[in-house]
Order: sequence, then C-alpha cells, then structure tokens
Amino acid sequence: MFGELPKLTIVVVFLILTLLYAIKFILRKEIPFASYINYLWIYFLIFSVAEIFSFKIAVWILAILCFWSLREYFSLIDIRLQDRWGIIGAYLSIPFMIYYIQIDWYGMFIVSIPVYAFLMIPFLIAIGGKESKGIIFSTGAIDFGMFLFVYCLGHIGYLALYSRWMAIMLITNVVICDIITYFIQKKTIPMFKSVILKYFISSPFTVLMTVLLSNWTTIPIGHSISLGLMIPVLIIIGNHTINYIKFDLGINEKNMCPGRGAVIDNMKSIFYSAPVVFHYIRYFLK
Amino acid sequence: MRKLFQIFSLRIFIHLFILRPFVKLFFGINIKGRKNISQLDRYIIVANHNSHLDILLLFCFLPVKGILITHPVAAREYFSKSKLSFYLINFLFSPIWIERGKPQERRDPLKDIKDRLDDGHNVIIFPEGTRGNPGEMKHFKSGIGRLAALYRDIPIVPVFLFGPERVLPKGSNIPLPLWNEVIIAPPHFYRGAHTEITHSLEKIINELEQSVKAFRHKRETVIKKSSITIAVLGIDGSGKSTLSRNLAQNLSVDCVSCLVSDALMFYENNQPKDMQPLITEKIREMIGGYAKKAKSLKFYKIPKLTELLLRDHLLDEIKRWYSPDFIILDGAPLLNLTAWTCLYKEQYFNKNTCSKAIRILTAKGDEFQKSDPIFKQFPELSSLKYLKLNHLKLPDVVIFLDVETAMACKRIDKRGEKKQVHETEEKLGKLREAYKLVCNVILEDWNIPTISIDGNKTVEDVVVETENYLKKFLKENADGK
Repeated sequence: MFGELPKLTIVVVFLILTLLYAIKFILRKEIPFASYINYLWIYFLIFSVAEIFSFKIAVWILAILCFWSLREYFSLIDIRLQDRWGIIGAYLSIPFMIYYIQIDWYGMFIVSIPVYAFLMIPFLIAIGGKESKGIIFSTGAIDFGMFLFVYCLGHIGYLALYSRWMAIMLITNVVICDIITYFIQKKTIPMFKSVILKYFISSPFTVLMTVLLSNWTTIPIGHSISLGLMIPVLIIIGNHTINYIKFDLGINEKNMCPGRGAVIDNMKSIFYSAPVVFHYIRYFLK
Repeated sequence: MRKLFQIFSLRIFIHLFILRPFVKLFFGINIKGRKNISQLDRYIIVANHNSHLDILLLFCFLPVKGILITHPVAAREYFSKSKLSFYLINFLFSPIWIERGKPQERRDPLKDIKDRLDDGHNVIIFPEGTRGNPGEMKHFKSGIGRLAALYRDIPIVPVFLFGPERVLPKGSNIPLPLWNEVIIAPPHFYRGAHTEITHSLEKIINELEQSVKAFRHKRETVIKKSSITIAVLGIDGSGKSTLSRNLAQNLSVDCVSCLVSDALMFYENNQPKDMQPLITEKIREMIGGYAKKAKSLKFYKIPKLTELLLRDHLLDEIKRWYSPDFIILDGAPLLNLTAWTCLYKEQYFNKNTCSKAIRILTAKGDEFQKSDPIFKQFPELSSLKYLKLNHLKLPDVVIFLDVETAMACKRIDKRGEKKQVHETEEKLGKLREAYKLVCNVILEDWNIPTISIDGNKTVEDVVVETENYLKKFLKENADGK
C-alpha cells in the first residue's frame, strides 16, 4: 500500500482538478484561474496516463500541447505566403521529437530540433517562393517559435521519462511561483523591487517543496535545495522574456482568449525552467 | 416523426461530431456573438470571402436546426474540377450553385436563391463575389441589396471572418493550422433602396474588420517620433517640481511623457507607467543623494556637476530606449550648469561669458582659441572640453518660474527637511538673477521659445498658464513642420 502512495497522489490530484473542471462546466461559473487550471489539468493528465497506462501514450498528449502553443504563436506572428512550407516543417518537427522521447533516444532528441530542424526550415522557406525580401525575419520568427514552444516544452516529457516526480516537482514549483507572481503583479510596484520581492517570497516555498518531494523524486537533499533556489530565478527570467514577446505580438491582458495569447500566457513559466532543470538533473544525477 | 428523422440525419451527425471538433482542435476557432444568431429561425448570412475554408467556418456556429436548411451560394466552376470533392461538398453543405462566365446562357442569377428563401430556407452569401487577395476586402456587389430589398422580414446577419486568409489563401493547396476568428454582428432589418442596403452592409463588415485587425503583429518597425524637451527652470522652492510633475501628468493624454526629476517617472494617460529601469538612472540617484548631503559649496560642486552630466546622458538614453513624446526636465542640465557658476565665480559672470559658455558646452564653440580668457576664468570648461563631455543638449522650450526669494525661502522652510547648502536668501537671489540672464541668452542667441511665469500665484494658476503657452507652442510647431 505504501509503495503505491506516489502513484495514488498523482491520480488524486488529477481527480481533484477534473472535479474543478466539472464544477466549472456544470455550474457555468467563472472560477478564478480557470484557464490556468486547464493547462494544469493537461499536465496531470499526462502524468496519470503515464502512471496508469503507459508513458508512450502520455507523451503524445504532450505533443498536442506543443501543437497548441505553436499554433497560437504562428497565428499571431506576421507570416508571408512564402513561409508556409517552413511553418509546415515546424509543425512536423513535433511528432519526430516526441518519437525520440518515446524511444528514449537522448542523442537524437537533443540534436533533432537545434540542428536538423533549424537548418531545414530556412531551406523550406527558401524553396517556398521567389521573394527573397524578409526571409531572415521569417527564419528567425519560425525557428524561434519552434525552439521555444516545441523543444523547450519537450524537455518536460524527457524529464517525466526519467521520473514522473521530477517533472511534477517542476510543475508544482512553477505553480507556486505563478500564484505568487499573480498576487504581486496586482499591486503597482516598480519592476526592480517586484522582481526581488518575487524571488524572496517564492524561493522558501520552492525549496520547501523540493525538499519535501525529495523522497519521491530521488534527488539528494543538497541538489534539491539548489534546484529550489534556482527554479524561481529561471521562472522570473522566462516570465520577463515572454512578457516582452507577448507585448510585441499585441497580446492584451484584458481580452485574452485561446488563440490570442491564453496558451502562451499560461505556460510562459515553463519555457525557460524546463530545459535548464532537465540538464541540471542530467548532468549531476544521471 | 419526419422532424425527428431530420434532427438525427447523417449530415447533422457529421457536422456536430466530426467537422466542428476537427475545426476546433486542428484549426482553432473563436466565435464572438453567438447569441446573435442562436435564437433566429430565418436569416441571410453575409460574410467576407477570403478562402475555401469560409463555408466550413460559417457552418461551425449555425444553430443545429439550421444546418440542413442553410445553403451557401457558390460558383460551380471552382468545385466541379474533382468529382469526389464536388459530391462531398454537395452532400455536406448543399450549396446553391451559380454558373459564371457564360453570359449567353444566363438567366436571373438570383432565381435559385429566391426559390430557396420562398421555401423557408436560409442562405449564406459572399457579396464580394470571388476570393480577393488575402486580407483585402473588395466592394460588395449589388445582389445582396436586391435580395434584402425583396425579403424585408428576414433578418440579415453580417459576419466577419478573420484568419482563413492565412489558413488557406488563394494560390496554396495545403491548409495550415492557424487560429480563426468569427465575429457575428447583431441581425439587421432594412428598409430603403438596394444600393443603400449594400453600402450599409459593407460599412458594418468594414467596421468589424477594423476592430480585430489592430491585433495582428506587423513586421515593419515603428518609426521613432522625435520627442519634445521641455525644461522647467527656477530656484529651489519656486514650485518647479510640482509644476513639472503636473505638466508630465497632464501632457500624457494618448501619449507617453517622461519626467526627469529627482527620480525618473513615466506617465501614460495621466497614470504613472512602470518601465524597465536604467542603470544610469540608479547611479544618478546615488550621486544626487551625495550632493544633497553636502556641507559646503565646495563639496557640493563635484557631485552636482557629475549628476548634471549624468542627467544629460540620461536624456540620450531615454530618447533611445523609450522615445516618449514629451520629456519634462526639472531643471535642464546645461542651463542649470551655466547658472550655477554664478555662485562660484560671481565676478566673471555676465552675459558675454554666459553665451560663450553655452556655445562651448553644446560643442558649437570651436572658434574659441585656447588662449581665450574664458578658459582662464572657468578652468572647468577646458577640462570638460578636454574630456569631450561638452555635448550637452539644449531643450526645445524653456519655462522659467520667477519667484520672490522671500517666498521661496518660506516654501523651503515649510518642507521641514534639512536645508541644502545653497538654500539661503542671499544665494537664492543671486541664482534667480543668473537664471534670468541665462533665459535671456537662450532667447536671443538660440531663438528657443522662453517664457517667464510669475510663480507667486497658486499652483493651479501656474499650471494653466504654462499649459496654454505650451499648447500655442505645439500648434506653431506642428504648423511649422
């Protein structure tokens, strides 16, 4: 019974989130963080499917998440008629990457997008049309989107392959930081002060969380503490960067909906933290 | 019984459980204003036409009872190329086919549509005729107006589709998964001539287009506006900080204004705005703090000089990174620097040296030789020139707040803070004369609009007077350009 506890916890969290979702659907009431809970629900769907059925199915749910965020990004950027083949190439990179995660081929996973897809997409754009003006901007925009929304998100999948609880540790820390950020952003504080405030409020909680979970994540206490100190920094950096990208894409906080920034906004904390945490764990612990 | 059979027909099943989820999950669709159509039994839908996907998107928001009895109007020649796709489209959407390009065989093109409307069915019409270039709206053809004039009791629902021109534009065969936006306007009933109806429908759809178009990312970089620098001069206690803060707040209607005072502030729409901090600003704040704590004029000089130079450098950085429309300076660095020399070298301070010093400090005074007496009188000028720090900027407008020294002293006493070194009545009097002189020089030598405002009045009066003057200046400025 006690050995089953980690597995049970995941399923219970998933069921609670499902219940919240059902309440929202039945009562048709606006609950706070409604859209945030949607994405949290998808993460725990991935973990519980991986625990109960198999990891192979779970990782393809992550593929859908990658697809949604990438689709939203491409819907918002300025694309030319000639870039269409490049965009198709970026979409096609998702199943390849997910397949490499599924068969646990680390070398190919780490190389596929930054090398092959990165070189392939400019070529696809170049054969897409005769118009050469603007190809550099198109390449930059499409490659960047693919890197951030496919490759960085894919690291969660690989982390979950190592251990579900490492990935859950990352997600819970992200949730803690996001909630604290939400409450700090409500007040109007100068940016410099709010960054320091965010870090010093959230880091005790994240350290506590990583240490509490260290039994199940099998990360030693020392590394757990340093991860707990590191994750808020990464999340603050990621949030700041994505906020600027959001600003350029014209995403407005007031009328955000899926397709107009909701997906990117809800997952913005993960893009920077997932790859770095993954490589930290891989370097020190594997 | 027949009605029940209709509801559970294969077509409705395919629409509800295959096509709609597919569009939602693969392409993504946001429907705004669904309640405008969900209650209607009869309607004519008018939409802009950008791609073949339009019909599919329009069928996504129809009420369930309307799926079988709604017919889009389509040209046969496009879809009759492949037999399978023709059969599929005929089965799924049951369009009203229009023959194009055969004038000799032409009958009344609206006849089929009228027949369907008489039967109690609904139609979808693309009044643009054909798919235009991606993202461009063509003028509406008169057919829709004629129909609406005939069937005045059927509501017309204008719909704007945003996105399909990127999903499947003219000239490409593969649809890309990209989000679409469907905006449904409230239903309209029309009276009047058919040309009027066509025009008003076109206007409605154009307005819907304008409301969503602003969201899309544009690749062209925005050309930076040049900012107008407004310098507020005055001795301490003349209320220039209050005035400049009020100015910065009031000028920031529909634009960004920046206040360079003890702290750097940005305003937008009369509200303070949070911007990314500048490192120069942090250093300047620190050095400004040292200057305020100085015990005598001797120790005041170097920190204040550094602070002023940094403040000038800050102007460059603000223009480069933020490019606000207005920069309000609480004391212009160049003019303050010039006026302040009066406290240190009173015997040399006159109009001539003042004008010379400003020329040198703005890097325009190359004609002055090294042997010029001004460099002997003010050795700081030569060292600044040697260090190449003499690129200070002149403001565009200068506002001088003229206050009696006794009044200023009273105000400083009121603050209750520790007094700075120069805040005595005698020194403030000297400074006041110096500022007046500098303003004169600026007006005569550089032709920069300068106004002297009586600062003994209340704050509100001063702000109103200054704003009136600035409005006049801005108007002249705009006319001059």
